[in-house]
Amino acid sequence: MGKIEWAMWANEQALASGLILLTGGIVGVAGQFRGWQFAAYGVAAGVFVCLLEYPRGKRSKGTSVARTGQYCFTVCVKAFGPLTRNYYVRAFLHAAICVPGGFMLATVLGCVCLGIASLIYLAAAIRGEHWEPILPRTETQRKPVPPSIKNPPSNPPPRPPPEMRRKRVDDLEGAAYDNPIPVTANEY
Amino acid sequence: MVVSVRSWVANEGGKHLVLMLWLGANTWLFVKTFLLYSTGQQYYYLYKMLGLGLCISRASASVLNLNCSLVLLPMCRSLLTFFRGTHTVSSRKTRRLLDKSKTFHVACGVAICIFSVVHVSAHLANVVNFSVSFSDDFPALNLARYRGEMFSLRLPCSLIGCFSSVPGVTGVLLVLILFLMFTSASNYEIFWYTHNLFIVFYIILMVHMVGGALKYQTNIMAHPPGCFRMNQSSSAEQGEELKQHEDGERRCREEAHFQPHYPQTWLWVSAPLCLYCAERFYRYIRSSDPVTIVTIIKHPCDVMELRMLKKNFQARPGQYILLNCPGVSSFENHPFTLTTCPTENKETFGIHLRVVGDWTERFTQLLLPQPKIDVEVLPVVQQRRYPNDGWTGFRLQRLYFVWVCRELQSFYWFAELLCALHHKVSTKDIEKYGPLASRLQVGRPRWKLLLDEIGRANKQKRVGVFCCGPKGISRTLHRLCNSACSSGTTFEFNKESFS
Repeated sequence: MGKIEWAMWANEQALASGLILLTGGIVGVAGQFRGWQFAAYGVAAGVFVCLLEYPRGKRSKGTSVARTGQYCFTVCVKAFGPLTRNYYVRAFLHAAICVPGGFMLATVLGCVCLGIASLIYLAAAIRGEHWEPILPRTETQRKPVPPSIKNPPSNPPPRPPPEMRRKRVDDLEGAAYDNPIPVTANEY
Repeated sequence: MVVSVRSWVANEGGKHLVLMLWLGANTWLFVKTFLLYSTGQQYYYLYKMLGLGLCISRASASVLNLNCSLVLLPMCRSLLTFFRGTHTVSSRKTRRLLDKSKTFHVACGVAICIFSVVHVSAHLANVVNFSVSFSDDFPALNLARYRGEMFSLRLPCSLIGCFSSVPGVTGVLLVLILFLMFTSASNYEIFWYTHNLFIVFYIILMVHMVGGALKYQTNIMAHPPGCFRMNQSSSAEQGEELKQHEDGERRCREEAHFQPHYPQTWLWVSAPLCLYCAERFYRYIRSSDPVTIVTIIKHPCDVMELRMLKKNFQARPGQYILLNCPGVSSFENHPFTLTTCPTENKETFGIHLRVVGDWTERFTQLLLPQPKIDVEVLPVVQQRRYPNDGWTGFRLQRLYFVWVCRELQSFYWFAELLCALHHKVSTKDIEKYGPLASRLQVGRPRWKLLLDEIGRANKQKRVGVFCCGPKGISRTLHRLCNSACSSGTTFEFNKESFS
């Protein structure tokens, strides 16, 4: 339909290819076939591809579902900046990684699958997609409480001078004073 | 939450029984084939050559045969709908099991993936063993052309060996197709297009074993495996062995003859494949009748109600339809639950659809003129009669409708229906339908309290819970339905799934 996000598909395929490469490499090493060095390379390359592709990127449109426990991988992948952000780099990287896998039957399937994933990444890069990390939302800042409320008042309320405040029982009329602030009943 | 045994059995028992049967069938097949190849007389020499790799590859192949045939059956949706509709064949338990057909399909798919990995790995070991244990005694049994040919599996030697045989080429193609097919539904379109490669997969699967490398011995009677052969290579041993075997040990009357297996996958796979192809053809024929859109109503919060007419269309409450609009996309079919079913008096049926993805967006753009105006469009038929009959055959005693909306305006989607229902129930049919009570609450529903209240009002009865909503609500309700209820009510959990 034209709104397909190729990078999402490429990510799934690349992760699967990494696993296939890893499995082929393990079989090649475990069988102790001659040329097991290629199988060992397959194991290492498979692990590397899986680690790179495990953190899912953010969708440009719609909700992105992160894979379980991908946060630490996201941080590592994000640290490489434009190298991991750009899908051209990923496409060529996968194409380069898959080539040595093609020299041994055990890893040839992983090689072909990774090659397919590399082509899909190329398609994503041509369409202008790039990798955005899925990061947990920072807590929204609450409206900051004005500092004046937090501390108790430092000054006492306004009072008349001491000679007026002294109790003058003999002169009750003179003891009364006008409140500077008008006193009203509490209104709820 | 304490799980109640009775509730758990009511909700999970059937599914787990089917799972156990399926696992049992797979295990039995695996073990049976494994033992056949490890102890069978006709595979004696081949087993000596290849060892465990032979048994594992063949056992995983038979499991793959079983799962490739089973995986198609849950996708015959029209057939399953037919079974679901017949009261004589299916009880409620069976109908609830049929709702889990997509889960079964996924389980078979996962098994296919896992056993493909096992099968390929075992065959890699076989390729090496064919070369290492190159047999001079039985040259017909060999795959390699000479000893040590594919010792290292290094290409291009092993590649030539692999691609010079039909099983090799088809095997690689099958893995590639599986690789493409098993994208998750992160993108529905990609999933749909790649999943339809299944037909290529099955065709290649059926020719996978042509010209097979694994051969069995055909003349066990004349040449019992392990028998003494007169023309042994070492003459020094011959004298000794002659003495040992003097007293009538088995002697080989003739040379061992070997023959490759005929492909057997078609026996497993052809019937389900034909059934599924017939199903797709039937769906295509049914969908070729045009549908007329009679009314389009725009509701708040990006919801549209569509009323449609189609010849000979029958549906019952709770069913869903798949909409295909060639103007939007030729191949995409999207499911929508029917909100209005056709009855004897009124033939129109309706859905409510919410504009969420690009298909629905494009579809509504085609339906509504720009700029968007909140009026009814194309009022060709303005029927507002709601069904007052057609409710035969249901043993419904009480209905609790819990509707959770984010915004208050969402209630307008069904405002007319609710008002009409309220009006009808409160005026004329109160004896028939009983009183209608409603409650409006703000905030998330507290499901435990709600279910407890329903349980108290319906002690010792069976209450069906039908959930249509996000995973969070579904999981919570499922757990609650499985947990113990003090009033002895059994809650049967059902989830809306477009399988």
